[in-house]
Amino acid sequence: MATLARARSLIHERARRLEAASFWVMAREAFWIALEGLRTHKLRSFLTLLGVVIATTTLIVVMSIINGMNLYIADHIANLGANVFVLSQYNWATSDEEWIRERHRNKPILMDDYTYLRDVLSGYKNIGASAWVQPSPQVKYKNQIIYEVNVTGETPSIIEMEQEQVDYGRFFSESEYEHSASVCFIGTDLVEKFFPNVDPIDKVIFVGGQPFRVVGVAKHIGSTLGQSQDNFVQIPLTTLQKLFSARPRMNIHIQAQDVRQMAALEDQVRAVMRSRHHLPYKEPDDFGLNASATILGVWEQLTGSIFAGGIGIVAVFMVVGGIVIMNIMLASVTERTHEIGIRKSLGARRRDILMQFVIESAVMAATGGLIGILLAIGVAKLVDVFFTASVPVKAILIGIALSTSVGLFFGIYPARQAAKLNPIEALRTDG
Amino acid sequence: MSSRTLTAPLQQTMTPKDGVIIRTENLWKTYDMGAVQVHALCDVSFDIERGEYVAIMGPSGSGKSTLMNLIGCLDTPTQGKYWLNGRLVSELSDDELAYIRNKEIGFVFQTFNLLSRATALHNVELPLIYSGTPAAERLERAREALRKVELGDRMHHKPNELSGGQRQRVAIARALVNEPSIILADEPTGNLDSATGDEIMNLFDRLHQAGNTIVLVTHEHDIAARAHRIIHIRDGKVARDERVK
Repeated sequence: MATLARARSLIHERARRLEAASFWVMAREAFWIALEGLRTHKLRSFLTLLGVVIATTTLIVVMSIINGMNLYIADHIANLGANVFVLSQYNWATSDEEWIRERHRNKPILMDDYTYLRDVLSGYKNIGASAWVQPSPQVKYKNQIIYEVNVTGETPSIIEMEQEQVDYGRFFSESEYEHSASVCFIGTDLVEKFFPNVDPIDKVIFVGGQPFRVVGVAKHIGSTLGQSQDNFVQIPLTTLQKLFSARPRMNIHIQAQDVRQMAALEDQVRAVMRSRHHLPYKEPDDFGLNASATILGVWEQLTGSIFAGGIGIVAVFMVVGGIVIMNIMLASVTERTHEIGIRKSLGARRRDILMQFVIESAVMAATGGLIGILLAIGVAKLVDVFFTASVPVKAILIGIALSTSVGLFFGIYPARQAAKLNPIEALRTDG
Repeated sequence: MSSRTLTAPLQQTMTPKDGVIIRTENLWKTYDMGAVQVHALCDVSFDIERGEYVAIMGPSGSGKSTLMNLIGCLDTPTQGKYWLNGRLVSELSDDELAYIRNKEIGFVFQTFNLLSRATALHNVELPLIYSGTPAAERLERAREALRKVELGDRMHHKPNELSGGQRQRVAIARALVNEPSIILADEPTGNLDSATGDEIMNLFDRLHQAGNTIVLVTHEHDIAARAHRIIHIRDGKVARDERVK
């Protein structure tokens, strides 16, 4: 008894000392075995990994598209400029039923509302209005025509609240606004088409048949969701009323002094509008108040549910992928029984064999994850051409972590089968 | 611990004296085949001293393979005790046995049992991997072992690029690399032609001269004749234990 105990403690003491070193030596060995395995069975590995590849690709593409859309919304729709909110006929981000209800009862925002608010509101930094010419008219210069240009009528203050910025020339002035002058501020698409090598300032273009003198050009914005953001002509709102539409429906942009003033200013606007529309106490608003934060909030809720759906699909793929890996690992254990016998005869312990196969499975799955990531980056690039997608770093990390975990988890069972093998019987198996 | 040592004085006296590397004491291996019990080994006892060159001989079915598995710590006896290098190993667990195999035993098999996908060098490195030897030292020792068996120029060849004799020499290098207490060879020439077999046996002679303890399991007389002592096994029992040199 004592001898056995002594032998044991001796063995354990030495074994413990080697433990830490041994783990890494073994892990590295297992890692190379895994890569070797992948290299020698290319087709089999590829088929095995298909599930994990598809799952990872799906995950990252979904995340990239959502991320791209979030960025788009943040940059182009919700970005109204600092501390700006917009009073318009409808809320921009609502549920379907809410939208249908608003369609029926909301009243358009008109010029009277703008002038009234401009005069009665207090404490704001800027106020402006903007209206579309609908349908989008064509714009002509000499014999060149651009069909469907975004033509908007604006108050001069708008330039300080929107994303367009003056590149050269100027925005139209207060006096031009008051005199309904036929002047315009144009986007770079028009410059490219009409004035490739010419100074556009003071040239006259025809918008919907009416002559306008170019006074300024906006900075290039680029395109999102496949739509150029530079295909526009901005004219004074008063000119729009004179030439295109006497009672245009508009959006009123209101800029607060700072973030803290936003809520108070919104409340002011709401109170004024409700009394103008004679709304009883219990009736909901019949107009929309849109701020970046609320739009983003609603949007992110929406993309969140898209994401949740995506996760469900990914989970199914991952489980399928994991089971395929488990299956191939079980086959691999059977195929390599003799090898396991050799390793055991040379001193591999159960845990060494267990680790070898678990690491092999994890490396395999991680390789699938890596392929999936590369594929997803390609797909995201493609999607970005006609829609929008941007691969977040987070997605790549999640992709690797998730695929590796799947490999680890589904590798455990086959690895245990391998570790349990009896060395004599394993050696007896034909290799 | 000390009181336990005192209360078991008998077992203390039964531990082998210095110089004895293998002691088996009334080893039994019984296979339970349902209705009948088959005794593969019955009451086998012998000592092997450090530096001995022993052949275990017997016809097939005599139990010599079972004995080899027990000596090689691949299996445990149903009954009896087995000391290897001063350790009672007959009652150790699987992982403890793996540790003993790694440290104390160098196997040479009839079918070489090399990993076909690994180079000669990597095959020889394997026991060192399982003992947790760091990479640099491991490579150095593996190279050294291959040089000892005159395969210094074949290190990066895979088994299928080597002749049978060369393969067996890789296996011998692998057996030597962890400096084990015994080299346990199971029909090491069984898959080789007689000229190559002689070469391998000459290598064993040299290893013995260099101080290694060698246990050879075989059924061939002229192979067994190389050893200094032959233990004949028949029907699971030691039939004869003779010194030949």
